[in-house]
Amino acid sequence: MRGWTAILCFLALTACQREQRNLRPSPARVVIFNDAAREDQIQPGGAQSMPQVNNPDEGNAYDVSEGQRLFDWYNCSGCHAHGGGGIGPPLIKTEWIYGGEPANLFDTIVKGRPNGMPAWGGRIPEYQVWQLVTFIRSMNHEEPKAATPARPDTIEQSPQTLQNKANGVTR
Amino acid sequence: MSGWRKGIPGGMLAAGVLSTACAGHQQSALDSAGTQADRIESLWWFFLAVLSAVFVIVIATLLVSLTRGHRGVNQEPLERTHVPSEETERNLGRTVGVATGVTIIILFVLLVASIGTGKELSEIGGKQNSLIVEVTGNQWWWNIRYLSEEPSEILTTANEIHIPVGRPVMIRGLSQDVIHSFWVPNLHGKRDLIPSRVTTEWIEADHPGRWRGQCAEFCGLQHAHMALWVVAETEPQFEAWRHAQLQPAAAPQDADTQRGQQVFLNSACVLCHTIRGTSAAGSVAPDLTHVGSRLTIAAGTLPNTKGNIAGWIADPQRIKPGNHMAVVPVKSEDLQPLADYLESLK
Amino acid sequence: MKRILAFCAATLGLAGISGAQIQNQPDDGQWPMAAKNYANTRYSTLTQINSGNAGNLQLKFTFSTGMTHGHEAAPLVVNNTMYIVTPYPDVLYALDLTKPGAPLKWSYQPRPSPSSQGVACCDVVNRGAAYYDGRIYYNLLDVETVAVDASTGKEVWRTKLGDINKGESITMAPIVAKGRVIVGNSGGEFGVRGWLAGLDAATGKIVWRAYGTGPDQDVLIGANFKPFYAEDRGKDLGMASWPRDAWKTGGATAWGWVSYDPDLDLIYYGTGNPGPWNPDQRPGDNKWTSTVFARRPETGEAIWAYQTNPHDLHDYDDINENVLLDLTIGGRVRKALAHADRNGRMYIMDRTTGEVLSAEPFAYVNSTLGVDLKTGHLTVNPSKVTGFQTVRDICPAPPGGKDWQPMAFSPQTGYLYIPHNNLCFEEQGTQANYIAGTPYVGMNVRMYAGPGGNRGFFTAWDPVHAKAVWRIPEMFPVWSGAVATAGGLVFYGTMDGWFKAVDAHSGNILWKFKLGSGTVGQPISYKGPDGKQYIAILCGVGGWSGAVVSGGLNPVDGTGALGFLNAMTDLGKYTTKGGMLYVFGLP
Repeated sequence: MRGWTAILCFLALTACQREQRNLRPSPARVVIFNDAAREDQIQPGGAQSMPQVNNPDEGNAYDVSEGQRLFDWYNCSGCHAHGGGGIGPPLIKTEWIYGGEPANLFDTIVKGRPNGMPAWGGRIPEYQVWQLVTFIRSMNHEEPKAATPARPDTIEQSPQTLQNKANGVTR
Repeated sequence: MSGWRKGIPGGMLAAGVLSTACAGHQQSALDSAGTQADRIESLWWFFLAVLSAVFVIVIATLLVSLTRGHRGVNQEPLERTHVPSEETERNLGRTVGVATGVTIIILFVLLVASIGTGKELSEIGGKQNSLIVEVTGNQWWWNIRYLSEEPSEILTTANEIHIPVGRPVMIRGLSQDVIHSFWVPNLHGKRDLIPSRVTTEWIEADHPGRWRGQCAEFCGLQHAHMALWVVAETEPQFEAWRHAQLQPAAAPQDADTQRGQQVFLNSACVLCHTIRGTSAAGSVAPDLTHVGSRLTIAAGTLPNTKGNIAGWIADPQRIKPGNHMAVVPVKSEDLQPLADYLESLK
Repeated sequence: MKRILAFCAATLGLAGISGAQIQNQPDDGQWPMAAKNYANTRYSTLTQINSGNAGNLQLKFTFSTGMTHGHEAAPLVVNNTMYIVTPYPDVLYALDLTKPGAPLKWSYQPRPSPSSQGVACCDVVNRGAAYYDGRIYYNLLDVETVAVDASTGKEVWRTKLGDINKGESITMAPIVAKGRVIVGNSGGEFGVRGWLAGLDAATGKIVWRAYGTGPDQDVLIGANFKPFYAEDRGKDLGMASWPRDAWKTGGATAWGWVSYDPDLDLIYYGTGNPGPWNPDQRPGDNKWTSTVFARRPETGEAIWAYQTNPHDLHDYDDINENVLLDLTIGGRVRKALAHADRNGRMYIMDRTTGEVLSAEPFAYVNSTLGVDLKTGHLTVNPSKVTGFQTVRDICPAPPGGKDWQPMAFSPQTGYLYIPHNNLCFEEQGTQANYIAGTPYVGMNVRMYAGPGGNRGFFTAWDPVHAKAVWRIPEMFPVWSGAVATAGGLVFYGTMDGWFKAVDAHSGNILWKFKLGSGTVGQPISYKGPDGKQYIAILCGVGGWSGAVVSGGLNPVDGTGALGFLNAMTDLGKYTTKGGMLYVFGLP
């Protein structure tokens, strides 16, 4: 009985898409994306059926963590910090200037936006853009909790510093 | 079963012979190429000798006791109610006592030898005229920086350390991500590289040669493909190498390599790599200013040939799955010029 | 340290202020450049509004700029016209002061590239314009300088000076000296190569450009370059004090203030931080970052330089204003300059030679231990050395004891009036990756209030005795400039929106007014066409400190706005975005 449970657990784990690591993206995912995502709800002549753009990395923990690494590597964190923003707008939020759906985020990264967001198309390969999109979505808890890192990668506040701050002591 | 057991001493012997046969190997602690490794190797041989002797004696005693006649101790029937005679007790007690004493002495000798070697190792180095090389572990490659009092003499390269023979070199170990371990067995033991901490060790090569090093602490998917080469050369050769490495990358001379440079500068390459002398100044991946002069690419994974460079760019995830080199969409007609250009960066 | 203190005390004890002569143009009640005069004193000789009647000040007129980013500029007043430069899109408004309510005379819309907003490190601010010979000169965010006809608002010339694709921008207020418009770039957080340029005021042609890093030839260092200290002497230090080629992305921008001494014919300015912030990636002194320079305005030739923060560890830019004063120190009159550095020390220097006369802390400092006045060497506290490791409780924080917000000097009292910060921080070094046009920092930072818990001070400082006379604690960093008047008053504003008149001698607050938005602007004082004295200030919270409001940042992440967000999470409770000119006068 115990043996069967173990085997079932093993099978369940191996079946888990969360754990899948697509280390070698297929050529199709490396090509620069061309589809246009809609950013506005008003669509003249009535709402259209939108071209369905699926985030291929949805719900995958490996892609979220790769996105987190690339977010620093490609200096996204230089402007958007770790979600709070600075030079660029915050990414932890509910209202997006140019849409918060995966396809909109993809467009924002690849095409850039006129008020300062650089156009990364032709530099960052498409599969990595999706990894970034997935990480950004995870910041807003729009990815399954199981795939989202439990804590941020940045500097931790030490208890001593917190106490110093409370006391206004800084020695 | 007993045949297998009997095979052990033979196997030991064979292993010993084999390991001496390893002399000349490029990644072996038993082919020391420097003061430090020499000490470690002597200690290893000393341990081997002592422990082999112990092994032989123990096995011999066992064999003798299994096969010899019963002399010296009165034969007594093995019954449940059996009580050994006082003489037997005394003899047995003496034998066990002597064996325990000898064991303690041997362990103590080994301890002293080990500590002594450790102490000796820690005292080597810090000499004048030394060189400081900063080795930073990254998943899964080595960033190498030669430090200097003169900032403009600081030199950055990757996965390959050149050292002058007979000059002490301090390895200043750092890590960017997880714990790695720097291990070039021909030159020294292992030294862990720990994030936000500095660890050091001294190496010194006593003759020219090339030795392979390896990450010795599991650090993720491609831990096994995280190697580096240490090249020891004469002082003039080393100085010539250092001088050449300090220069910016050579400008491409022909149309083919010029095109290769354009491909490099207009693709994802510049997001991570540096080629000094061009606008590429990324610092999260190996510095490629003189990549053509190195022995290997992909941290010791492939010999540095034009074909391998092209193969690596075209499909790095096939060669080293999970490594952080992006799969960059390079057009097939651009691949050859790009590889030519990188190969030309001597 | 004690020895240094004793030395300072001995030197300065003998000193007395000689009525503090100021390098000043005759004051005709106008305000022709952001700092009022070449000496950068921000001192107005007008006396109608004084400590006796300041309590009666009332609002005279307002003007909305229609923008909501940080309004850091000083209005100009020349020939009965007020000129206002807004943050991006850098519109220039001219208001007619001769008519009731000062209606809009004309506006000039330069339309700089919107993409330039992506390379402005700390809000899309502009710090003001300069009037010279019938024209208004100012800079655009997308690395351009324009000359506009002061009476008609027509563009006279427009010069492109750099490339936003390399991360360059311009936010500083130019000055015009000896027919040269002096302009410097911003972008120290983007790994740009800094420069200061001299443009021909008539044509806009670039006459000279002095880089902050690189070979002497590029830095315009020649035979006449005579630094006071040995540490600053040597060949090609702008290259030799860096790892190979690191100087090309090494910062040393000139985004702050420029002052000018017509007698010595020298301009003074400071250079910004080295790039990246993470010091482990750039071993060496990193010259000429964080350096005070003296140059000839016509040719840009360097005369002396003093690096206040060699191998900067904490983003201590050196761009703060150099106020030119003549002080009697050690029994003799010294042509001095006062420079309140980001590192929290008030440098009093001999402006002819670059010798440091004193460098005492005006804010809480634990990152450095002292300046050796014999060698000019700054001793760094070894326990506060940043790099790849995590270091906590470092004071002052990257915005420094004081950032760009300019201080004022009153010859009446002999005091400097310093709007400044009280901030500390913790940091963690990371590998900065250079990608042209994106930030190049390599440090996760969190800032918070320094000792006492208040984040700012307004301090009166006696430059001769090198000590504070009085301090007004403020909840938020005092990010506005200051103006001193001959009426015995000092004005400054706060980020929570209070504009205050303070008795220059005692520090008593005599009057205050709540503005529509927090202010990070520069107050001015001028004489109107009616012969009356007025005080003007722009409100509109923003800048690095106010980005939490102007940029709508999310305070859950303390590392936002390069770590400043952590110290400003509550600003939104006290103020909202805005952009408005306020002008006050007596009834």
